[in-house]
Amino acid sequence: MENRPLEYDYTVAKWFMIATIVLGVVGMLVGVILAWELAFPGVNLMLGEGLAEYTNFSRLRPLHTDAVAYGFTVSGIMATWYYVGQRVLKVSMAESPFLMFIGKLQFILYIIVVAAVVVSLLLGLTQSKEYAEFEWPIDLGVVVVWVLWGVSIFGLIGIRREKSLYISIWYYIAAFLAVAMLYLFNNMSVPTYFVAGVGSVWHSVSMYSGTNDALVQWWFGHNAVAFVFTTPIVAMIYYFLPKESGQAVYSYKLSLLSFWGLMFVYLWAGGHHLVYSTVPDWMQTMGSVFSVVLILPSWGSAINMLLTMKGEWNQVASNPLIKFMVLASTFYMFSTLEGPIQAIKSVNALAHFTDWIVGHVHDGVLGWVAFMIFAALFHMAPRVFKREIYSKSLMNTQFWIQTLGVVLYFTSMWIAGITQGMMWRAHDEFGNLAYSFIDTVTVLHPYYTIRAVGGTLYLIGVFMFAYNMFMTMTAAKRVEESQMQNTSPMGA
Amino acid sequence: MDIGQIQAYAYFGFTAFLVMVLYGYIYHLYSSEKKGTRDYEKYANIALNDELTDKPVETVSKKDETKKEEV
Amino acid sequence: MFHWLEKHPFFFAVAVFVTIAFAGLVEILPNFAEASRPTIGTKPYSTLELAGRHVYIKNSCNACHSQLIRPFKSETDRYGTYSLSGEYAYDRPFLWGSKRTGPDLMRIGNVRTTDWHENHMWDPSGVIPGSIMPAYRWMFANEADVDTAYAEQVTVNKVFNVPYNKPIPMKDGSTEIVMMGASLDAAKAEALADAKVIAADMKNQDVKDMVASGKIPEIVALIAYLNSLK
Repeated sequence: MENRPLEYDYTVAKWFMIATIVLGVVGMLVGVILAWELAFPGVNLMLGEGLAEYTNFSRLRPLHTDAVAYGFTVSGIMATWYYVGQRVLKVSMAESPFLMFIGKLQFILYIIVVAAVVVSLLLGLTQSKEYAEFEWPIDLGVVVVWVLWGVSIFGLIGIRREKSLYISIWYYIAAFLAVAMLYLFNNMSVPTYFVAGVGSVWHSVSMYSGTNDALVQWWFGHNAVAFVFTTPIVAMIYYFLPKESGQAVYSYKLSLLSFWGLMFVYLWAGGHHLVYSTVPDWMQTMGSVFSVVLILPSWGSAINMLLTMKGEWNQVASNPLIKFMVLASTFYMFSTLEGPIQAIKSVNALAHFTDWIVGHVHDGVLGWVAFMIFAALFHMAPRVFKREIYSKSLMNTQFWIQTLGVVLYFTSMWIAGITQGMMWRAHDEFGNLAYSFIDTVTVLHPYYTIRAVGGTLYLIGVFMFAYNMFMTMTAAKRVEESQMQNTSPMGA
Repeated sequence: MDIGQIQAYAYFGFTAFLVMVLYGYIYHLYSSEKKGTRDYEKYANIALNDELTDKPVETVSKKDETKKEEV
Repeated sequence: MFHWLEKHPFFFAVAVFVTIAFAGLVEILPNFAEASRPTIGTKPYSTLELAGRHVYIKNSCNACHSQLIRPFKSETDRYGTYSLSGEYAYDRPFLWGSKRTGPDLMRIGNVRTTDWHENHMWDPSGVIPGSIMPAYRWMFANEADVDTAYAEQVTVNKVFNVPYNKPIPMKDGSTEIVMMGASLDAAKAEALADAKVIAADMKNQDVKDMVASGKIPEIVALIAYLNSLK
């Protein structure tokens, strides 16, 4: 026992990997149900009249967004942190019983919070602010989980062997700090029970009212996207793509510059959710302008990743993992271009409140975030479970079926969004509105159906992923550490 | 001078400062590489050589350890 | 200096924090007081309306309906006068929404009646053929949480000085008073009295029976809230 060499300890990473898979299935399954409900409202009653309250579109929608953002994505972030963190700092969790305890505690509390979220959202306990729906007792739990993550990050950094922090660590730190700040300020509220002594203990009122509340909410809402769906995912790609392909990052200097650029610019862009609303005009303009500027640092990272593959494009054909990551960075470029376009005032006037925005979120999350997390988990699995990936052909099938799903999703939502936006503003020759609202709803039926099909294809891919991972954990061929220098070993 | 004005000046000043810092950083990145004081690209290898048995790109020395404690 | 920062995680973290916090400080802090001043004619919510607002939030109506009319002719033609910042002064949280799967509800009280809402919430596509809105029939059976609505009134009154039991200036120069019960029982009695007025315009027998026996179904509270949106 004493002579066993020191190894990286992936216990916590392993737990979070499983959570990622389970919550990914849950979040996306709910999403697909929602898509079918919009196309065919009868689906709202799928479990009968008695349970309609809990299968209804409006109850399930926050559950979908939160399960994907804070369930699937955050678990993925944690899983990769407890893997990448050790490796680039060259220190094992096994060296510190304290950090090991913190990691395990964080996981357990995280699962408790997730369970509380699912139950409370189904019961309709919500603050109604998007991506900040949780009532105050759950918020307190979230804070504890987040602080534990902070302890883990800075604790591991404190005992590191590698003096310089790799760029991925920078992004993880940024995600930690920014989400902490945004979440705290946006969820400031007064629990009513403690003031009045009656009513529900869960209920609270926001510290901000009306326009201020909206401003704080979208400062949060937009940047929750930035620091949950962007920075940690960039952290992943900066580690996993070079590692899997065996190519050093094309330009490390560019990665550092993009980092500071993203940090400074991103936080300004929240105002683009409030264009033509009642917040002051200069803030709306600021939101638009900075959104456009944001293209630069975003593309800095994305191009850096694509150039990392320079001269190695044959790997894209041969290695499905690289395929996932290259498509992810392509979608990152695509949605970071689409977003700024939607933030331009005149475009926003048309696009706001329509399905085009929904399409934008989904090409970002399905194409970029989820693809990167799949790739990260596929890369980690052989190293964590010491087995080769169960099936390469299943991976390839998953890749193509999901790509098709995403394409169907965003193209149908583009058309739906622009159609609806144009119909809302159409006037006849006398200056009267040309369409009643219901006309603009029924016209969307075919696009809602296509979207539901696209979503279903993607979900099938997620099930393939879950099956492939499950078989990798339990049944695949065992491999030696030495076979895993770069390319992940995978079975046929 | 009302609060709005103070704010506008503070905003302008701080933004100008950050822009200067950013350009300074770019200059620093490239000049230190040219002068040979520091090669930033070598840090990319942290990801590639990340086994516990691999030699760190730069080791944390004992001297730094004590300095960090003060922080 | 830069390299020193890259090697000292604590100061690095501070630098990152300063960079990201800057935008928030500039954008959000300054307009706070100004943006929260109510316009003339904006009233706080009564107990029953607030209970209805909680029903609206509980069922995430804001996932599909906005409450924000933008200053375009196509929007003012369809929904009424564009929104003003002060009209939201008593909205905690704001309910602007981000998606219009259904129409805007900012001034729905001007165009729809109690009777219409009752039919529509029971069977949306029966009222609007082609509607994809699901029915909300459980609201006809579930009881509204008046206690929590009252607790919220007390809280916003104490903590944020929302003017209950005080004259509020109206657009025509008159004043109106929104009452907040002196005790929970008083508030409940008041909410019930308001509920009876609404139930009188309704035809669902279960709802009428509930109100007659002193209970307030969610649908009554919700309709009170929707009628107040003007």
